Amino acid sequence: MTFQKLLVNFNYVVAATLFLIGLYCVMVKSNLIKKFMGLNIMETSVFLLVVSTGWVRGGKAPIMVGVSEKASFVNPLPQALILTGIVVAVSTTALALALMIKIYERCGTLDAEKLKGME
Amino acid sequence: MKRFLILISLAAFWIVLLFVVAEMPPIGDPANPTNTHVVPRYLKRGVEEAGCENIVTTIVLNYRGYDTMGEVTVIFTALCSVLAILGREKSKTSYSEVDASPVKPSVIIHTIILLILPLIIMFSLYVILHGDVSPGGGFQGGTIAAASLIVFTLVFGYLHSLNRIPVRLRTSVESSAPIAFTIVGIISFFYHRNFLTFMLPGLSSNYQHLLARGLLLFLEVGIGLGGATIFTSIFYSMKRMEQK
Repeated sequence: MTFQKLLVNFNYVVAATLFLIGLYCVMVKSNLIKKFMGLNIMETSVFLLVVSTGWVRGGKAPIMVGVSEKASFVNPLPQALILTGIVVAVSTTALALALMIKIYERCGTLDAEKLKGME
Repeated sequence: MKRFLILISLAAFWIVLLFVVAEMPPIGDPANPTNTHVVPRYLKRGVEEAGCENIVTTIVLNYRGYDTMGEVTVIFTALCSVLAILGREKSKTSYSEVDASPVKPSVIIHTIILLILPLIIMFSLYVILHGDVSPGGGFQGGTIAAASLIVFTLVFGYLHSLNRIPVRLRTSVESSAPIAFTIVGIISFFYHRNFLTFMLPGLSSNYQHLLARGLLLFLEVGIGLGGATIFTSIFYSMKRMEQK
């Protein structure tokens, strides 16, 4: 019974799994770039989750060119929100990578454990 | 040991999440709460209220225009912070790998990039300008254009591409997205309407729709130009090599 529900909501299962993979990267890896890649994987899982909520069975893309009255459309709102989310994710990634370049130039390493004791 | 503990706790968390997923409404059902609240109105009256057939573009630029204005400000702020941390590229002192290496890139790559690049840029213009009646829009087209410029830089080297895309040209275009939003927002003040109103009153219905479409296109072009130059500038400022 529960298993069948999981199969129906397979996108959510994948999103939860991706989220935990990203969390694992953030917690275990000591390289800063790998940590941030984990964070990006977590962001991607959230995007997948939110976009999946907007899908409607048999729905078309919400573009009103030559459509009949009865046609059903997928939900455009999550797509618009995730468009915003992706752009913000790119901005934070750019900023974090710039900081990492500066850290590497100063300290010569990106290892979080080695960076801990440094001034 | 630490890794093992983390794995166990994450597995427990995963099982909890699976139980949550099993309780969530099934994907694809039109009666889901996410599909019934405000979206039917967008789908039903979006075209007449915004004058644009693509409902996603309508939501991004019209219904949630404030969101998008904040978002373009976020990218612009990200560019400002990157430039504050790393600084703009210096035209004389920093070299890319292509400029420094004695081996010239192969003829095949040169030719193919020269053939493909105009097509990519034309496609990005199509995505930007056709975003109101087909999938696409300013962000997507701008990113495609930025990707083509980055490919050009990777193949032809830093110095050569900097002559084609000089800093002075990019500086003046980078802030075009927030500026376009401000201009469109202020236009509606002259008609005694709220900030970022597209359907301006006192005009005939036909002209009103035409003007709304024009303002939408103006925003798309602003966002596309701004996005392309911002991503190119971020790429250039990150490019560096050890001085020898």
